[in-house]
Amino acid sequence: MNAWFHSHLQACRRAFARMRVQPLATALSIAVIGVALALPLGFYVLLNNASTAAGRLNAEPNVGVFLTLAATEADAKAIEQKLRALPNAANVRFIDRTTALADLKRTAGMADLLAGMEGNPLPHAFSITPKSFAAEDLTVLKKEISAYPKVEAVSAEFEWARKLSRFARFAENLVLLLALVLCVAVVFVFGNTIRLQMLTQKEEIVVARLIGASKRFVSRPFLYYGALQGLLAGLLAVALVLGLTAWVGNEVNALAESYGAHFDLLTLSFVQAAAVAATGAILGWIGAFVSVALFLREH
Amino acid sequence: MIRFSAAVKRYPNGFEALKGISFSVEPGEMVAITGHSGAGKSTLLRLVAGMERVTQGSVLVNNQNVGQLADPALCVLRRNLGLVFQDHKLLFERNVFDNVALPLEIAGFPRVEAARRVRAALDKVGLLPREKAFPIALSGGEQQRLCIARAVVHRPAILLADEPTGNLDQEYAKVIMALFQSFNQVGVTVLIATHDESGMAGVTCRHLALHQGALAP
Repeated sequence: MNAWFHSHLQACRRAFARMRVQPLATALSIAVIGVALALPLGFYVLLNNASTAAGRLNAEPNVGVFLTLAATEADAKAIEQKLRALPNAANVRFIDRTTALADLKRTAGMADLLAGMEGNPLPHAFSITPKSFAAEDLTVLKKEISAYPKVEAVSAEFEWARKLSRFARFAENLVLLLALVLCVAVVFVFGNTIRLQMLTQKEEIVVARLIGASKRFVSRPFLYYGALQGLLAGLLAVALVLGLTAWVGNEVNALAESYGAHFDLLTLSFVQAAAVAATGAILGWIGAFVSVALFLREH
Repeated sequence: MIRFSAAVKRYPNGFEALKGISFSVEPGEMVAITGHSGAGKSTLLRLVAGMERVTQGSVLVNNQNVGQLADPALCVLRRNLGLVFQDHKLLFERNVFDNVALPLEIAGFPRVEAARRVRAALDKVGLLPREKAFPIALSGGEQQRLCIARAVVHRPAILLADEPTGNLDQEYAKVIMALFQSFNQVGVTVLIATHDESGMAGVTCRHLALHQGALAP
């Protein structure tokens, strides 16, 4: 156990020593990989913020039923019963006009506008979640509800919400694909860096093997070197994204405040940052492992 | 300790470097393998160290068939050997101390113990004052002694030396041979391949003559 620990400690020391010997080359390599990791990470944060912003809009695919201003609560209850009996209504939610007004007042910039109005301009309303979203079913539903007395308007135009949701999914997949491609590229970059390192130390490797060094002994410092570089590159990527988020966050907030709103940009949590750094280390280790295995097979 | 049984080494181009040789070396023995260039001396040592494998027959070292050892077992075997290479195989980016320390690093010795052993080995070959020098700054004889120090620092049971006096003048050759004799006197089995029989003058050991891959009678 002691010898095992000692050999790992020794390999770690040698990995650090290798970094010290070539600080510029190491720094450049870390910078390239750090930027490569920062790209998908930045897109992820951007997407996360976009999703949050979109989530503030009412993007739920519901049918809105607005009663006339003259409709009483008794009228609303009668209509609610009819709505619940509809075969295409999965869920019916009543929004009374007082609650709707209170909600609207909480919306940025609306409180001042509503203060200048007399009474409550909002009608009672219902939100229906349909069972079927097929265009023909929705048309039937809309036509049927529109015919009810005291119903002023029926809104079933939420195709934009579905498009937004589809676009968000597409963007998520795109970021995932980009991350995968860049991860593969990062593994290649690591592999190439380690291969160059091994070529410069080929003589030492060959001599060490001749006098009894196992493949593990030879590979270990390079694996640590790859993992260490990956860890630092991951931390650099996190630092870049945090810096960029802080800067963009200030700008976005300044813009939002000019509209009387407040928008805090989402950034990386500690767990996410640690995961990115660990991913960097793992990619570095994989790149080094592949490179070392190929090198030892050739020599 | 070392046993060759009808060992044949044939290269892919058809050249037969060793033609069915058989002999054995007992523990603590010192054997000089002599012969002209191309007689098969280096091949014989390489077979013992597992750097090459026999085509036919067998080479046993400590009752292990070297030709059939897998990589991990071969590494363990090599860690119990001391190798003095014809071309020294010194690492020119490491200083004298670090060159000698390499086998101990491989064996996983703690730093303090390794340093003590390295200095003892360097002292034995007379290179202790030059422990911080780099091999490029050493003379041919010093480089050879450095190579010997690296070969014995981990106290191997068997020492294999390929043309250890090849590039040295007679005076230096005597110094090197005396070193091998001193290791043999403390129980190390020594196998020396040399074409320079005059360098072996005054050295008490068994001689095996190789001629075109076969042992001369």
